Amino acid sequence: MINYSEALKNAARSMVRFKNPNNLLRMVVRFIARESNLTQASMLVYESSKQRYSFIDSKGKDRIPIHLVRIDLDHPLILWFLEKKDKLQILEGYFCLKKLKSFNRVKHSELSPQDLKEIEKIKELMISLNASLCIPCFYHEELLGILILGNKKTGEDFLEEEIQFFETLANDSAMTIKNAETQTELVKRNAELEEKLKENKVLRDKEQQTYYEIMLSLAQEVRMKDSSTFGHLEAVEKLGIMTAEELGLDLSGKKRVVLSASLRLHDVGKIGIPDSVLKKEGSLNEEEWSIMKEHVDKGVKILEPLTDFKEVSDIIRCHHENYDGSGYPRGIKGDEIPIESSIISVVDAFHAMISSRCYKKGFPLDFAINELETNKGKQFHPKVVDAFLNAFKKNMFAYYDSRIKKEIKSQNKPQDKIQS
Amino acid sequence: MVKLLVVDDEEEICDFLKCFFEEREFSVDTACSGFDALEKIAQVQPDVCLLDIKMPGIDGLQVLKEIKDKYPKVKVIMVTAIETTEKIEEAVRMGADNYITKPLSLEYLENDVRQKLASIA
Repeated sequence: MINYSEALKNAARSMVRFKNPNNLLRMVVRFIARESNLTQASMLVYESSKQRYSFIDSKGKDRIPIHLVRIDLDHPLILWFLEKKDKLQILEGYFCLKKLKSFNRVKHSELSPQDLKEIEKIKELMISLNASLCIPCFYHEELLGILILGNKKTGEDFLEEEIQFFETLANDSAMTIKNAETQTELVKRNAELEEKLKENKVLRDKEQQTYYEIMLSLAQEVRMKDSSTFGHLEAVEKLGIMTAEELGLDLSGKKRVVLSASLRLHDVGKIGIPDSVLKKEGSLNEEEWSIMKEHVDKGVKILEPLTDFKEVSDIIRCHHENYDGSGYPRGIKGDEIPIESSIISVVDAFHAMISSRCYKKGFPLDFAINELETNKGKQFHPKVVDAFLNAFKKNMFAYYDSRIKKEIKSQNKPQDKIQS
Repeated sequence: MVKLLVVDDEEEICDFLKCFFEEREFSVDTACSGFDALEKIAQVQPDVCLLDIKMPGIDGLQVLKEIKDKYPKVKVIMVTAIETTEKIEEAVRMGADNYITKPLSLEYLENDVRQKLASIA
């Protein structure tokens, strides 16, 4: 005699471990055959792909050859479990061969001749399968399997308690089959979703990349419109990164890309400024200035769809703010201004000064360096100026020095010719 | 009494079908190999033979050929796994009276056997 509640607990514990429901069902069958001392224990399971019930396992001396027999959906055994549940209640929800044999058809006048014929067929099947009990494995209304059990080897009848135990086990099995099914489905659905997400991400990345490239060419366009200086954006990018490195900013991963993009795109908003203002020679009047200043907000707006680079627009928003608070559009000051914006402000001004073809103010490199020093702590962030000048003198001075001297020479030559 | 011979290399299947048909008042013999089958056929001269195809040694098709050559009155129903589709076609060409794939419906099997018997009578 087994301790049923203990056995159930053990079985339930084991069930959790099985991901493949078939293994679980085999375990249940073996468990029953072994522990309950039956002539056989078998389990039919529903194969939805083949629309039939077939055996997953059979154990015991009177076991059923599992590859030989199947039960079709139209067999009365299945019909009664699925469609005649109310009538099945007469038999307490399961089929017991002994009860079927002693079934009193007169007592049950509510059963039609057809019902009785079907019960007869179920009886025949049970005899063929050496079965004395057929217990359904239900999950809600779904008949996921049938537990088919032989006689006790001792020949004794089943106790009510034992049958209840088998019923619980059958329904637990059904639940586990369903869980495993659901889990398999979830895993499959999850994989599909992940695949879709991946595709989406690829598309999105591509879109962002395209947008970024459009922005870059827009920025180039603006620069061409604004002044004829070629290579300004590239130079600003290079000098800016150099300054950030000198400052010891963290440029790992995306941060470097963000800074590069900010340096290149800082004036992209000028695309929305009319040529009459943008290309005007000489100084701007008050109204023109206010239009010009709008390029900051316009740039932020243009960059809005570039969600991967939200930081870029945050930086660009502040690239005309001054250290002493005299800048625009918000007039913030000091460390309220992102350090990257301060870098743009310094290198952009510097490169514009050394690129100007106006040499009246002296040698452009000296002039620009002097200008930065003078405005340190006013327009420009002092630390940024120091870092920039340090780095510039270390790395770039020689390059720009010789380049500018060459430029001056080549500009003077034709003049010489004309004069001579 | 109607004589039935069940040929299958799985002893469990032989035993199961023997019980099943004996319950239905057939006289049932079993053979677990092709060789065994040839012997039993000569001995009992069954009315119907349930014949598996895939067996080690002499397979179901060879047994079928022997039956159709020597005992053409014996009705042969091939009982076989679905994977042997080509062999099933061959068996039908060789004169098998029907085929049923495993796993099978016992009801269908019984009806088919009875049908074959009716055709003899």
